[in-house]
Amino acid sequence: MKKATESRNFIASLDSLEPMRDFVSQKGSEAGLNKKQIYGLCLAVDEISTNIILYGYQSSGITDGVISIKINFENDIFVVILEDKATPFNPLEARTPDENELGLPLEERKIGGLGIMMAKESVDEFRYEFKDGKNLNIFSVKALDN
Amino acid sequence: MSFTVDSKMIENVARITLTGALDSSTAPLLQEEVMKIIPQNPKELVMDVEHLDFMASAGLRIIIFAKQKLGTQAKLVLVKPQDQLIETLKMTGLIFSVVIVDKYPE
Repeated sequence: MKKATESRNFIASLDSLEPMRDFVSQKGSEAGLNKKQIYGLCLAVDEISTNIILYGYQSSGITDGVISIKINFENDIFVVILEDKATPFNPLEARTPDENELGLPLEERKIGGLGIMMAKESVDEFRYEFKDGKNLNIFSVKALDN
Repeated sequence: MSFTVDSKMIENVARITLTGALDSSTAPLLQEEVMKIIPQNPKELVMDVEHLDFMASAGLRIIIFAKQKLGTQAKLVLVKPQDQLIETLKMTGLIFSVVIVDKYPE
């Protein structure tokens, strides 16, 4: 697969997490991404969607929210865009654990910000935009020549 | 890929077997097992994760919670985590707080 654009809508519910990951896995594997890249994209999609479902739509009072996943594959760059109409929220501005906190024994840790940190670490690039009343969380990875 | 969690307590060792995908929709099932185990004060918590194919931060938070409740003395053992799970443990620093083995007992 050299070039492709696809999109699918999901109900903003925790039950959609698995079908969302399956969709991304399937398209990633069609594009020739490796196992680690596919897993990383699934993790990013899962973590950010969980936030949108549990906090974004809940705080906006929308009960029938939708998350759209758009996939673009061109010039070896595989891009996954999560689109939602919940309260504007830029995860890249959220506080995540720093080096010192990650080195703390589990007993002394505060539990928070882990998911966003994992999403950032799991893809090559993570961008956020707010456009036409929509949150766009954009993840990209570069397909390798193998 | 459905999620399953089984637990048993043998002497002072709590053993939990996880399969499938541990995300925010399935994490409450693990939380429930952990809540049953904590009052029994195991000195080791052994998690069989060989067939756990996915773990989101919701799963990590339960592991952190369990370790906090069981205290510094309690050992947390992961049996046969998949490569991607090891990556997650490294990136979050949890790798330093767990013991990873190929089989249990060794």
